[in-house]
Formats: sequence, structure tokens, C-alpha cells
Amino acid sequence: MFDAVARNFWFLMGGLGVTFQLSVFAVSGGILLGMLVGLARLSKRGWIYHPITAYVNFLRNIPLILVIFWFYFVMPILMGQAIDPFPSAVISFIVFEATYFGEIFRAGYQTISKDLINAAYSTGMTYWQTARYISIPIAFRRMLPSLITQSIVTFQDTSLAFVIGLQELVRRVSIVDNLEVRSIQLYGFAALVYLVVCLVGSRISRHFEEKGRKANIL
Amino acid sequence: MGLAYEFDWGVLWRQPYGLWLLKGVGLTVIIGLSSWFIALALGIFIGTLRVTSYRILRFIGTFYVEVLRNIPLLVQMFFWFYAGPMLFGEHLGRKINHINELNIYVAILCLGLYTASRVAEHVRAGFASIHRDQYQAALSTGMTQMQMYRYVIIPYALRLIIPPLTTEFLTIFKNTSIAMTIGVAELTFQSYRIDAETFHGLEATTGAMIIYFFLGMAVVKFMGLLEKRFKIPGLVGR
Amino acid sequence: MIEIKKLNKWFGDFHVLKDINETIERGKTVVICGPSGSGKSTLLRCINGLEPYQEGELIVDGTSLNDPKVNLYKLRQKIGMVFQRFELYPHMTAIQNITLAPTKVLKWSKKKAEAKAMELLERVGIPEKAHAYPANLSGGQQQRVAIARALAMEPDYMMFDEPTSALDPEMIKEVLDVMIDLAKGGMTMLCVTHEMGFAREVADEIIFMDEGRIVERGTYEEFFNNPKTERARAFLDQILE
Repeated sequence: MFDAVARNFWFLMGGLGVTFQLSVFAVSGGILLGMLVGLARLSKRGWIYHPITAYVNFLRNIPLILVIFWFYFVMPILMGQAIDPFPSAVISFIVFEATYFGEIFRAGYQTISKDLINAAYSTGMTYWQTARYISIPIAFRRMLPSLITQSIVTFQDTSLAFVIGLQELVRRVSIVDNLEVRSIQLYGFAALVYLVVCLVGSRISRHFEEKGRKANIL
Repeated sequence: MGLAYEFDWGVLWRQPYGLWLLKGVGLTVIIGLSSWFIALALGIFIGTLRVTSYRILRFIGTFYVEVLRNIPLLVQMFFWFYAGPMLFGEHLGRKINHINELNIYVAILCLGLYTASRVAEHVRAGFASIHRDQYQAALSTGMTQMQMYRYVIIPYALRLIIPPLTTEFLTIFKNTSIAMTIGVAELTFQSYRIDAETFHGLEATTGAMIIYFFLGMAVVKFMGLLEKRFKIPGLVGR
Repeated sequence: MIEIKKLNKWFGDFHVLKDINETIERGKTVVICGPSGSGKSTLLRCINGLEPYQEGELIVDGTSLNDPKVNLYKLRQKIGMVFQRFELYPHMTAIQNITLAPTKVLKWSKKKAEAKAMELLERVGIPEKAHAYPANLSGGQQQRVAIARALAMEPDYMMFDEPTSALDPEMIKEVLDVMIDLAKGGMTMLCVTHEMGFAREVADEIIFMDEGRIVERGTYEEFFNNPKTERARAFLDQILE
């Protein structure tokens, strides 16, 4: 039943490998940039808050495909030479997903109640000690489920890098489909792969959410 | 800086490119609105399924949501477009493949089904935030479960979930861009096409970005008006 | 000794503390009561520098908080504080909550800190809960851990901000017992509370605040049996309901 898949299995798995690679870069970069974005959105300094807020609000109205194209067009101009689809895709994803990770961080920082911080201060701890041992660990545990969920979304989004020719899973499936025309099997297979990975991911996220709720951290 | 690139912003309004962009916007709006109606109707239905007292119905609802939420929209679109017709067997399948504008219908259907899964989740959350006593009050006047949902709970829940629905409405317009991968000539497709012709993709995509941005603002504005019109007095809002 | 001189504080336009004058001597227990919104909590937070003030002066053991070079961190080591909602660190066990500041701020060794923590847990009556997480402790137990946490820094003063208001009635006694024990042991205490039983037992002075001012002060007997002002009388009527 899945003979076309079996015949081209390793080719397709290579595509999954590229998908994972892209996801890892996109998620790590997105989280790092997102931390800064989240902090910036909490800043009282206008010159930090306004530009970053404008960037977040602008990007959230725009389709990811368009952002992928835009970077694919812009990068060669800036760098004076043609660019590979993979790095171009990585940059597009980092810039795009950072807006979503940023909102998660912003919400996370805000959940630490003022009195909890005061409790730490009242024992003589400094701002940085409080941040390091109290605020950041607690905020991180609270944000973990959302961070995992957003990472899953990013994993799904990587399929869009298809449009600039990146040889990730979906593109390879369509290449095989052109040859074998066994569309039901092939696209069904792609759907199944994503379904499994994402279900596992959301199970993990729910596990952390339960853990956090039990410990009254959430 | 010495960029070896000459900007040509004229591609945005010179003919025929300006017309292409306009047609693209038109198609984006049509596809967005059509799928939104499907998504709302189906989403409310499935969201309701998930909270009924019949296990089998709940299971169907959960199955639908989990499957559609965890597969990328791109894969779903390809599936319905390439594999879909074949599901009807060789003969009918071939006939379907010859329908003009099949890709537009598939796009609307697919986007509607996908977004319905997300709407269903918001609807379910809306139901959950209504106090149990509300349900019991309605039932105590003799209504059946179905009547209770139709006349009391669903209208109440819908008003509660206008903010997350706004996000979904925005998202649906953004997701119309994925239809370009099956050849639908909506806005993103057109900007890519302009690049293919003129090599000024940067200007074209920047222009498209700005159009999407204003489209988004219009949606937010519209939903904001809707929220005001249907506001439930006394409920804690913003 | 804590001296408060003509303290005034605003939150924006809202004048929350008006001309507060008070002296708290070592070894004394002072109870502050009054309707909510009268500024009691704010006053406590000014004393250990958690809240700034705009006018007046606060002097703790000779150090003025008006001095721009004042080391607030050192100051806070001398003043322990217990909060209404306990505010235990949810991601740490009871003993970790207590040893965190001594190890990081006073640079004690883990051994020394844990020994002290166990001693304090014994003192507040729950040594067996040392390795429990706050989520697994009752409200009364959490508050006692919070008291131990504050005591771990070996402060000269202890401030309590409505420590029993968030507790179920059955647990109030266990916390008050710890506080009474502390007071009788000679700790200088400043308590915002409505628990008049506690005040009767150990308070050297009762301060009644209303709308940001100290309206009345006196010993327990004076305040209870002979309130001098109308507002104090009204307040007493309410809480004795």
C-alpha cells in the first residue's frame, strides 16, 4: 500500500532531516531573539519599546510565505551575491517566529507577582540574585508549555520553505509524486509524519503543563 | 553603499502589474471570506460536539481537531488538490481534475476545514468559561440540550470569543497565501509573478506586505465594531 | 531603633502616607491596625526600602534612608518581612526557601545554612516538612516556613504584613503562636494585623491608622477600652462584630 513511499524512503527521510535542521535553527534563533523582543516590549524606554512593537505588529499581519520570499529577494541585494535557500529560510523564520516567542516571554515575565520579588528582596538579595534564582526559573517553568507549542507550530511552518526550493520533506514528496503519481500514499505519508511528530510534541507540552499546575507554579 | 540594484517601485502600479496585484487582492479577499464562513459554521458545530454528553460525538470532534491542527496547511492543501480527486476513484477523479478553477475551490474548502478546527477550539474554550449554572438554568426551564445550545449557550459563547476569533480571521487571510502553491493567483502569487517577469521581486513583495498589513487592520477594525455592537453589559472585558 | 520622622508618600496624585511620626525601640512589639487602604502595608514597605518615599526621614539604627549612598541590601538583612500571601518560592522546597538568602547573600556554607534552617523549622514546629514543596503544605505551614525564611537572616527587626489574613481560621492559631513566641523572646516586631488577641498578649503599643495618618496610639488597654477618636471607635465596633 505504501510502496511508492518504501521505494523512495531514504530520499524522503533526507527531507525530514532538512526539516528538522531548519526547525532547530528556527526555534533556537527565534527563542533567543524572542527573549530580547519580550524584554524590549516591557521596557519603559520609548526608543526601545516603539520600534520593536511596530516590528511585532507589522509582522503579525503578514503571511509567512511572503516573508520567506522577501528575504530571498533582499539577501542577494544586500550581500551582492546569490544566496542558498537554507540560510535565507533560517533568517526569515528567526525574524518571523521571534515575534511569537517574544509575546510568550513578555507574558511570562509579567506573571511574577511583585510580592514574590519583594519577598526575595526583603531577605537582602540583590536585583540580579533575585532574577537568577527566583524570577527567571519560575518564569521559564511557566512559559515552557507555550514555548513547546510554539516550537511545534514553527516545525509545521518550515514546510513553507518549499517555495524557495528548499529540499525539505514536502518538496521531496512532491518531487516523488511527479515521478510516481501515487499522490494519496505520498501526501498521506507526509501528513502522517507531521501528525506523529506534532502529537508527541503536544503530549510533552501537556506533561509540563500538568507538572507546573501540580506544583502550583502555573 | 553601492548596491548594484536599481529600485523600480513603478512595478507596483504600472500596467499590467498593478492590475495583477489588484486581481490578487480580490482573490485573496474572496477566498478569505468564503473559507471564513465555512470555518465558522463547521467550527461552531465541531466545538459543540466536543462538549456534548455523548462520548462518540466528543471523540469525533477531538479526532477532527487533533488531526487538522497537527498537519501543516501546506500538506493539507497538496493532499486535497493532488490526492483528493483520486479518492473518488479513477473515473470521477479524472472528471474532477478537469474542473476549471479547481484550485480555487480546493483552496476554499481546505482553508475552511483547517480553520474550522481552530475555531472549534475557541468555541470549546468559550463554553468552558460559562458557568455550569447557566446550563442548568436553561435546562431547568424544560429545554432540550440542543435547544439550550442553540438559544442560550452558543450566542453567549460567541460573544465571549470575539477576540480569539479576530485572530483566526486575520490568520485566514494570511493563510490564503498558501494557495499560491497550487497555482491560485492571489496576492502573494501575483507578487512572485511580477518578480518572474521584471526581477523586481523586492518591490513587489514589499508592496504586497503593505497591502496585507492594511487588510489586517481592516479586519481588526471590523471585529472591534462587532465586539462593541454585541457587548455583554457588565461582563469584565478589556 | 527605627525612627520615622514626618514621613510623606504619594502614589502619583494619591497621598498615601501623611506626616507619619513614630519611634520603635528595640525589643518592643508594635501592632498597626486600621481600615484597608489606610497605608499600613505601604508604611512597612518604606521601612525596608521596598517603596520609596518623597518627604520626611526614616532612620534605622542610625542609618538614614535619605542618604543616597545607603546600602539597601545590607539594611534588608537586618529587617525580616513576612507577607500576607506567604510568597514562598514555589520551585524550591521548604528548606531551600530558607537557605537561599543565607547562602547567596551571607555566603554561608551549605552545611551551616541547613543546620540553621532545621533549627528554625523546629522552632516553628514543622521540621518534618523540610523537603516538601509549598504546593504540598497547608497555608499555616507555608506561613511558618515564611517566618523561618525571614528569621534565617538573623534580623534585628521583624515586620509582619497581615500574616494571618489569607489563612483559614483553623490555621491562624498556629501562626500566631509562633509570633507570640518570637515577641516574648525579645524580637523587635512591627505587625500589621487585625488579630486583637495577639495584640492583647504581646503588644507594647497599638497604632491606629486611617487614610494615611496615625490617628491614635496607645497601649492595648487604652486603645480598646478608651478610644479617644471617633474613627477609632467606629473601627473597633466593626472588628468586634
